Amino acid sequence: MIGLQITQLTLRAGTRAATRVLVADLTQSFAPGEMWCVAGPNGAGKTTLIAAMAGVSKTASNAISLDGRALSAWGASELARRRALMPQATHDAFSATVLDTVMLNRFPHLTGWGWESDADRAAAHAALDMLGLAEFASRDVLSLSGGERQRVALAATLCQNAPLLLLDEPLAHLDVHHQIDCLEALRGWVGSKQRSVIFSCHDLNLARRFATHALLLDGAGHTHAGPVRDVLTPERAGAAFGYPLTLIQQDGHEALVPVMRSTSP
Amino acid sequence: MNAQRAFMVWTVLGLAALAVFVASLALGSIAVSPLRVMQALASRSTDVIDEIVLSLRLPRALGGFAAGALLGMAGALLQVLLRNPLAEPYVLGVSGGAAAFALAAMLFSLSWWSVDVAAFAGAFLSILLVLGLARRELWRGEPQDTSPRLLLTGAVIAAGWGALITLMLAVAPESRLRGMVFWLTGDLNGVSMPWTALIALVIALIAIVPAAPQLNILLRGDVAAEALGVRVVQLRVRVYLVASLAAAAAVTTAGTIGFIGLVVPHVLRLAFGNDQRMLLPASALAGGLAVMGADLIARTVIAPAQLPVGVITALIGVPVFLWMLLRRAP
Repeated sequence: MIGLQITQLTLRAGTRAATRVLVADLTQSFAPGEMWCVAGPNGAGKTTLIAAMAGVSKTASNAISLDGRALSAWGASELARRRALMPQATHDAFSATVLDTVMLNRFPHLTGWGWESDADRAAAHAALDMLGLAEFASRDVLSLSGGERQRVALAATLCQNAPLLLLDEPLAHLDVHHQIDCLEALRGWVGSKQRSVIFSCHDLNLARRFATHALLLDGAGHTHAGPVRDVLTPERAGAAFGYPLTLIQQDGHEALVPVMRSTSP
Repeated sequence: MNAQRAFMVWTVLGLAALAVFVASLALGSIAVSPLRVMQALASRSTDVIDEIVLSLRLPRALGGFAAGALLGMAGALLQVLLRNPLAEPYVLGVSGGAAAFALAAMLFSLSWWSVDVAAFAGAFLSILLVLGLARRELWRGEPQDTSPRLLLTGAVIAAGWGALITLMLAVAPESRLRGMVFWLTGDLNGVSMPWTALIALVIALIAIVPAAPQLNILLRGDVAAEALGVRVVQLRVRVYLVASLAAAAAVTTAGTIGFIGLVVPHVLRLAFGNDQRMLLPASALAGGLAVMGADLIARTVIAPAQLPVGVITALIGVPVFLWMLLRRAP
């Protein structure tokens, strides 16, 4: 089958002495054309799960398969052409142009002596265009703001040209306008093609608006997965985050908001 | 950066190195014309000038080039491995180990070749020590961003060697002190066998230049690199070993010449950008060029007396580097 399949996956956090189960016995498939939001409180295992889905964690790679083949059976660069991972943080120790930084993600496509071709350059420019970063191409990455850096990292992930994107908090540091621009760009990118996006996100309302499905972690091993409006409900999300939520509606818009506490403690 | 531009950088640096090489053979107590230098290199005659060029100046120039090239490349590699612009070939204690052992050999007035052997043994011991102590950082199965612990392990070991070196300088008899201080600042006097360092340079370049695209990615973080198909753990060990052994070979040849490994990669970065595919060969060429040039100055500026080459590299390098750095400031 095409897509990502997780079978009886258990993820733990911590050292051998004190382990905590993040995800217990998760079985779930992620099909092309879907846009998944992974939600949950801090430390619930979103990053660990996304890294595991990318095959970065060797211990989990047998329980996860892509296109019917266990991640551990994929070659490293073959896998890098099939799925791209955007980590929560990237390093910029030395100055480099935005274009060169984005083009690093063409690595799995390089041949010969390891220099980029015109096609690689074109892919990088296309990714920058898609996120409205065209005029940033020759800027120094060290001169960018946190949000701009985040969009550059997303452009880099897109230019890897892999049909499955795994994005760890792609919207962090972005203002509301750019959050929506990025999500719209991703939705357009998934389009009708055989592509899918799995991203973690703390904004449940943006997730309800743009994701097709959601996977909710509660940090104690329990998970809920399904169509986004069935999972990110006031009851389930409120229980997972440990704070009561309510759904309010106005003029066809709806929003999950935290319940007002009636009395001060 | 593309291949054409990198070739241009390498060509310019290579030609400059060639010019300094010829100047190193031509200039000195007896000035020789470049044409005569070519003759000396080509023919096998044995008059005084041939003797000076071939057995005094040639090994010194080649040794200086090899040592500088090894240091430049090792510096560029360690700055990538530790993701730290302040890293240089000596930061992980390689030179400290070499110096402590070399000074001990000098203290017990062993022969010159045993000083070389001791220096390499000390460097190698230091490399093994860091590998052993930081094995969890270098060899961790799952990629994590671990550089600070490796850097701290190396820095503490370097500090330990530093204490031993000071101790030996404190107890050394007057007569040996001058030789020991020259060795510590870096000295090309008496380099007679530059071939080992040149061979080490070729091996190091062959071992690491093909991995340059992976090194560009390693700079973005371990998880990002792993996700792009780079085997981070193997790459890290490979970079550490190549950089440390290169530094060990350089120190064994020429003592602890400072500043080249820190500054040469930065000057090239400021001028041409931080693409390791261009930078690693360019750092080797520019490092060799810089040490050869500095040694030419060191032995001609107050001839017939000679200065330690390390003093010249620092005296010229500091203002040049500061100028390049501050010129770029916003």
